[in-house]
Amino acid sequence: MRPVLTSLALMAGTAFTPLATPAAAQDTYKIGVMSAQSGYLTPYDQPSYAGFKYCIDKMNAAGGLAGQYQVELDVRDTRSDMAETVKVAQEMVDNGAQFIVSSADADPTIAAGQITQPEGIPTMTFAGTAPVLTQVGDYIFGSYPADNQQATVLADFATEQGFEKVYIVKSPDSAYTMGGPEYFATVFQANGGEVVGESLYSLNQPDFSAIVTNIKATEPAPDLIVTWAWEPDFPAFIKALRGAGLTTQVMGGDVLDTPTVRGLGDVVDGTYHTSGGFPEEGSAYGDWVKEYTEATGAEPDNNYYVNGCDIAHMIEDAVEAAGSTDPAAVRDALAAIEDGEGIMSNFTFAGTDRMPLRPVVIAKINADGSKDFVMRGTADPEKLPAP
Amino acid sequence: MDYVIQQTVNALSLGGIYAMLALGLAIVFSIVRLINFAHGEIMTVGGYGVFAATVFGLPIPLAVASGVFAAVFAAVAMERVAFRAMRGASVVSLLITSFAISEILKVLFQNGISARPKPIQLPAALSGSYEVGAITVGVIPTISIVTTLLALLGLTLFLRRTETGMAMRAAAEDFEMLRLLGVRADRVVAAAFALSGLLAGIAAVMWTAQRGSVDPLMGFFPVLKAFIATVLGGLGSLSGAILGGFFVGAVEVFSQAFLPDSLSPYRDAIVLSTVIAVLLVRPDGLVPAVKVDRS
Repeated sequence: MRPVLTSLALMAGTAFTPLATPAAAQDTYKIGVMSAQSGYLTPYDQPSYAGFKYCIDKMNAAGGLAGQYQVELDVRDTRSDMAETVKVAQEMVDNGAQFIVSSADADPTIAAGQITQPEGIPTMTFAGTAPVLTQVGDYIFGSYPADNQQATVLADFATEQGFEKVYIVKSPDSAYTMGGPEYFATVFQANGGEVVGESLYSLNQPDFSAIVTNIKATEPAPDLIVTWAWEPDFPAFIKALRGAGLTTQVMGGDVLDTPTVRGLGDVVDGTYHTSGGFPEEGSAYGDWVKEYTEATGAEPDNNYYVNGCDIAHMIEDAVEAAGSTDPAAVRDALAAIEDGEGIMSNFTFAGTDRMPLRPVVIAKINADGSKDFVMRGTADPEKLPAP
Repeated sequence: MDYVIQQTVNALSLGGIYAMLALGLAIVFSIVRLINFAHGEIMTVGGYGVFAATVFGLPIPLAVASGVFAAVFAAVAMERVAFRAMRGASVVSLLITSFAISEILKVLFQNGISARPKPIQLPAALSGSYEVGAITVGVIPTISIVTTLLALLGLTLFLRRTETGMAMRAAAEDFEMLRLLGVRADRVVAAAFALSGLLAGIAAVMWTAQRGSVDPLMGFFPVLKAFIATVLGGLGSLSGAILGGFFVGAVEVFSQAFLPDSLSPYRDAIVLSTVIAVLLVRPDGLVPAVKVDRS
């Protein structure tokens, strides 16, 4: 179990540090971190960074990565702006970053990749899940279960539950909001289901009543609606949907796993969504939530915190396996990780296109703001739609 | 046919909110020649007012009052702190001041409250709907349409029947003349901001009730549309702003409803092209203002 291992490592670090040669003890590993402090990425970047820093600090206190590399963070704000993201990536590379952790979405990661891929600096997104992001090149990595994995598990679940006719609501404005529902549709149709209609919306669309009216007029009537919409679009959509008297089952992506969505009350009752993990009592994740809350006074109320910590573990595993901090060696070691131990869940990069294979959780939201664990599954690689 | 009626209800509901926001912008512009880009943040403050009341478990009427009051307070405070000092400054200086206020407030919301949207939970009865013939109408859109009409009616009465209202209309036509006649400028301007705050507050309540959450950028997008509405209606023209608001709401809803899905990504472009087309035919807007300084 991770906490035991960590405390052992801590003891080992404390005991053996004086014996290490001074040169080795002073080795530093420079990691550039992009964290938007304003704009649309803030709700994902801030918790991801908090979890990442918490675990990096712990590793440093325990003697550093592989017992000899002290991590030095170069943290910069991108304001959720793509031009700023590219500028910041260039500055980090110029400052000697050996690894870069990029913002929590595919688009900024792809933008940063334009700089880091040619320079050969391994780059990992905080939580971008669109599998297209790793197609920039072999130095670009995902960290969270990809959209096609989430969609495959969700589609299999929907088929098992007896749903047959789905209505898709998607937005071409981002790879996430467009890709998730499309992957879902592909797997759902392969399972024998039918897509009876679809609507496109724009991010921050003021009004969803026209889409809801379209859904209502659809023949045959859908028994399921699937969307990867995030806030504030999802709350607006579900309010309009329930407000129009439609009680159709709604399922969505991991972005619904937030206190804001759970706080909407009756309108979200019974909504299913995918997630990267679930802090069950007694699990490594459950224990980590307690530990983090006690240490910082803030309760991690979404998965981005723990995923940030898991990124620290992915980097640690890669540096340990590589036995050095050379960017090319770390990249190769990272891409070869098989069943690495994480807190949210374990991760496998070997055999993937650098979007880690990780279990996907399905959870159900209740009217009182709580969520129930429904199932945990891993996407069937045979069914996984290509990015 | 039912489908068309249903979409018309949607268009009225959205257009009404745009109309209230556009009217608030027009009232302030007609008197102080200020295009207030921070109007969206006044609306956001209203949204947080509703949120704060629901957190403390206050009943709905108090939550509504809290939202409206917060917006009025924000508007009046904004005038007192930032715009009064800039009285008589050029249109460009005022515009940049309002940009600055808008940015400062957004960052304050993000860091002082939360970058995440905050959920607003309303009683289940308000999320319901009822049937009229074959069409289903939501309770909140209905309240929204009725409230918009009442607010616009009330405002018309206020502007036509009360002394302050008449002073405001006179100020819109010739502010200097009004001052020469001994009417206190500060009071008229403050009243204009308070009114625009009131309308933004009502819009904020409707908006949060329909959308279920409030976030630091909440006011930005609808007010952007309201700007288009005021220009379309005729900058500085009050009835033009209302007409423009309903027009933009209708184009937005109908383009979503009747355009094929393949054209959906071009929806905003289509809305703006329609506006350009209208302005080509009527360069001063649908209902031109009586007197306007065009830059």
